[in-house]
Amino acid sequence: MSSQSEIVLTKVPVPLVAGFQWSVGELMEKFIKALADRKIWGVKCPECGYVYVPPRWRCGKCYAKLGEENLTELSGKGILLSYATAYVELDGAGSFKDLSEPKPIGAIKLEGADSTLFMPLGEVKPEELKEGMKVEVVWREEPKGELADIKYFKPAKR
Amino acid sequence: MAGRVAIVGYAQSHHQHDIQMTREDMVFEVAKGALRNAGISREDVDTVITASTDFLDGRTISNLYTSMAVGAYLKDESKVEEDGAFAAYYALMRILSGVHDIALVEAHTQGSVVNPHLVSSYTLDPLFERQYGFLNDISAAALQARMYMNKYGVSEEQVAMVAVKNLMNAADNLNAHRKMPDVTVEEVLNSKLYYDPIRELTMSPVSDGACAIVLASEEKAKEITDIPVWIEGVGSCQDGYLRDRSLYKLDSLQKAAQDAYGMAGVSNPFAQIDVFEVSEKYAHEELMIYEALGLCREGKGKTLIEKGMTGKDGEIPVNPSGGALGADPICATGLIRVVEAAKQIRGEANGYQIPAYRALAHGQFGICAQKNVVFILGSE
Repeated sequence: MSSQSEIVLTKVPVPLVAGFQWSVGELMEKFIKALADRKIWGVKCPECGYVYVPPRWRCGKCYAKLGEENLTELSGKGILLSYATAYVELDGAGSFKDLSEPKPIGAIKLEGADSTLFMPLGEVKPEELKEGMKVEVVWREEPKGELADIKYFKPAKR
Repeated sequence: MAGRVAIVGYAQSHHQHDIQMTREDMVFEVAKGALRNAGISREDVDTVITASTDFLDGRTISNLYTSMAVGAYLKDESKVEEDGAFAAYYALMRILSGVHDIALVEAHTQGSVVNPHLVSSYTLDPLFERQYGFLNDISAAALQARMYMNKYGVSEEQVAMVAVKNLMNAADNLNAHRKMPDVTVEEVLNSKLYYDPIRELTMSPVSDGACAIVLASEEKAKEITDIPVWIEGVGSCQDGYLRDRSLYKLDSLQKAAQDAYGMAGVSNPFAQIDVFEVSEKYAHEELMIYEALGLCREGKGKTLIEKGMTGKDGEIPVNPSGGALGADPICATGLIRVVEAAKQIRGEANGYQIPAYRALAHGQFGICAQKNVVFILGSE
């Protein structure tokens, strides 16, 4: 089939806009509210011991049901499993725009957790990032019980 | 497998950015092309399985509108919301059920319609990862690449060598999108950084394209063609969500490959499979794919690329067509691998033919290749 490069078809912009409202679930609600007290909750599977953060109602690994009684507080400290540096960001309209300053991001394993957290990193230069680096959470000045209470993670003080 | 099923026809578009064709025309061309290639007509088809993603299509239940373009009018029809290679698996099962004899499988995406990397961010948990705004398939791939490279001492040059191999291979493939016959490691390493270490030339291009195949039961396949390409084995596997998996290896691909090898009676893929067509959406992923397919030990993918073993003239050619780095019309990409593998077996890979009796095709879907499907195809 030919590419028909001599023809240029007209385009019409057709937005796909819809608002969605999801239930966060009870454990996630507790997780979000606890952020106001600078606490991070995970949930530990009573059968296989896997610790999910944010908490989930069920263990996908061993298929057990988890509940409030399985909530476990995590320290907010962890290690950097991996890192990357963003040079671009999506502008929300579908285009990439160049960042004026590169932003480091991290894959973090909190102490006592098994899930990976994907978080922005701060107070660190991209070239200083190292696998296994100890990191800790930086809270918003006045946490309100919202996800935005976790501002970013930074290298932990020794 | 209970009965035998063969690929008896195929077609694909000339993948490119912003193909000058409506989605429906693109779908029609490959569906009609695959039937023509098989030498059968729409009336001979019992069931039609398509693959695309509603969000990438910008329409919900998008097969309602494309059903007539794909030839499904008044026929059994279903859609897979992922890669066409999964649709091929679905079609295979429909034939094996004994209910249908001939299936048409079609997959497409026009990546130019909306930024597919934006769409990838909508596959994330809306209550958590999505809220921070920086995570999408490229940034996640960057975290995966860095983890893999650190763990096994893989250099950026070794990753770039995968891009060089595939982009040069794409230059020989009429259907490929990004053809770079003279590309060098330096050029790859100087290409635009998106999320370090992922660069423009170590990630797949945004392509428009479509692909279709015709599958038939053993009896019908022998009537239709003298060169059936038999499906000897297949395996498919889903990993956990991004937060809860080991990103430095592809566990679900390993499992899918083992299942497919078992079904095909393959015990040593390195020796028993002649050519591999895999869906590496990022250059580093191809090294991880070598390992998950059992072509080398964990962490030794770098040795295969460095020694040129996966080049066209190597021991185990991988992606002589240029792979996903050469063209990535997202939902069609895995099905294109099936077609490219079938072309190798039929001796129709003009310009990049490898002497092949048995080939492997791989499709994937989801951030960091969460879900994988593997086909083993053969001429016997």
